[in-house]
Amino acid sequence: MSEQIAITTYGLIKFYGNVQALRGIDLEVRRGEIFGFLGPNGAGKTTTIRCLLDLIHPNGGTVRVLGIDPQADPVAVRARTGYLPGELSLDPNMAVEGALRYFNALRGNKVDWGFVRQLAERLDLDLKPPIKNLSHGNKQKVAVVQALMHRPELLLLDEPTLGLDPLMQQEVLRLLTEAQADGATVFFSSHIMSEVEAVAERVAIIRLGEIVEVAETKALINRALHRARVRFKQPVDISPLANVPGVTLLSEDDGTSVLLQVEGEIDGLIKALAAFPVSDFETERPSLEEIFLAYYEVDRKEAK
Amino acid sequence: MRTVFRYTLSRFRGQILGWGIAILLLGLMLMWFYPSIAEQQENLEQLLEIYPPELSAFFGDLSAMATPEGFLSVEYFSYMPLILGIFAVLMGSGLLVSDEENGTLDLVLAHPVSRTALFFGRLLAFVVATEAILAISWLGLVLGTVWTPLAPGWGEMALPFPSLLAMLLLFGALALLLSMLLPSRRLAAMTAGLVLVGSFFITGLAHISEGLETVAKFSPLNYYQSGEAMNGLNLQWFWGLVAFAGLFALLAWWRFLRRDIRVGGEGGWQWPSLPLPFRRRTEAEREA
Repeated sequence: MSEQIAITTYGLIKFYGNVQALRGIDLEVRRGEIFGFLGPNGAGKTTTIRCLLDLIHPNGGTVRVLGIDPQADPVAVRARTGYLPGELSLDPNMAVEGALRYFNALRGNKVDWGFVRQLAERLDLDLKPPIKNLSHGNKQKVAVVQALMHRPELLLLDEPTLGLDPLMQQEVLRLLTEAQADGATVFFSSHIMSEVEAVAERVAIIRLGEIVEVAETKALINRALHRARVRFKQPVDISPLANVPGVTLLSEDDGTSVLLQVEGEIDGLIKALAAFPVSDFETERPSLEEIFLAYYEVDRKEAK
Repeated sequence: MRTVFRYTLSRFRGQILGWGIAILLLGLMLMWFYPSIAEQQENLEQLLEIYPPELSAFFGDLSAMATPEGFLSVEYFSYMPLILGIFAVLMGSGLLVSDEENGTLDLVLAHPVSRTALFFGRLLAFVVATEAILAISWLGLVLGTVWTPLAPGWGEMALPFPSLLAMLLLFGALALLLSMLLPSRRLAAMTAGLVLVGSFFITGLAHISEGLETVAKFSPLNYYQSGEAMNGLNLQWFWGLVAFAGLFALLAWWRFLRRDIRVGGEGGWQWPSLPLPFRRRTEAEREA
């Protein structure tokens, strides 16, 4: 079983002085999946990722990455992992190629340099200029290349598309799905919900240092509230619709149209509508962003 | 560790050349001046008689300037720990923490490099860089013998450098340790710099004030031989300084293994809030 799990954290706790950044994170990421890690700033995403690499030491709980305790053998974990930090900083005096060759040397010169060139070409990254002359987006591309270039088993990416233009964001997402197809596990945090929705099979939502939700991305979206607008060919008695489990009547227009809210699966409503003379049917599926904001709203209300 | 060492040393190239060439030129200039100073020996002795004894306390026996060894001791080796001490303190305090403060250490340590390998790779690069600067400095004195035929031999002129090296390693290691303990590199460099300057004054003043002799025993510069080493290196003092440098480095390593790598304000720590009457209260405290 443990061979199928890439990351496990149990009761992970981290304090910064008196501030508790992580309040017992329980997380399980399966091998070979793309896992999205969502949360507002300061929720604990970066802290969790940095605990996985032993860059910071947890105050409690257990962590296993690829079956290894990062505190006991951090080098073994890092050898099999590619990391992209959220707050990227590179030596400004090195050229792009020099920086990548340095990272390669730190990995024992095991990288296929042809693959590095291929990655750079796909990301439209010039290897010659010094880092200090690069824009933020181009520095981010360097970080993406260094994280992927050794074809790691596990990718830990903290906001991987930050600062990239939409085209490059798409290219990075393609690279991640390709890495997954080659057998890699991808664990990434993001603020861009559409990209998490596009590539992540499962997501976790972290709020105030606690995991508040872990679910299949599709299930999470399906489970959330839908809105349905139904138009009828003639005025009807809509009371049977309001009795469908999970359905709430929001507004009605003389029995010719109705706006409903559906919690969970929409299947029951569809079946109920079969008995009605429906002329038009529209549903609004909430985006992952709306779901995330719903969790965040709870947070803000609690703060008030 | 080899990769870390090579990379760090290559980053030190500018420092090695900058400091090395500057000190080399200083040595050359002094050696070039010496023959004309020697010719004015009588006038110089008269001048030295009116100098306050405090000067001798800091720079050694000024009357010894009559000999090339004494001249080098007073004009070169006596204040070299202060000059190169600045290099050692800046390099030691920034050896790991400057990369931590600018955020690059985070990514480096995400690679398969142990903290121990990173620490000792960089420490070794610092030691080699310091030795390289001292070797270039010594070369300046050797080249200067072209103008000063009566200068001490190459080997004799090399003897004060191990004493200087030990002193620089001590202050570099102290700065490194302080950088692991204090909230910022700047604070670590400032504190180690204060110890360096304080040590220089205490050691100097102890020569003219008996009351300071006991305190001076705890001053590292008390065990720096300066130009006197040309008459024989005090190995006991040398190894004593190296041992303390090693102790500070080991303590810094021990601390580095156990601490969090800070990044962009995360995990950084500040001085604890003291209940001082003049301290401005934070917004949270005011609300409470």
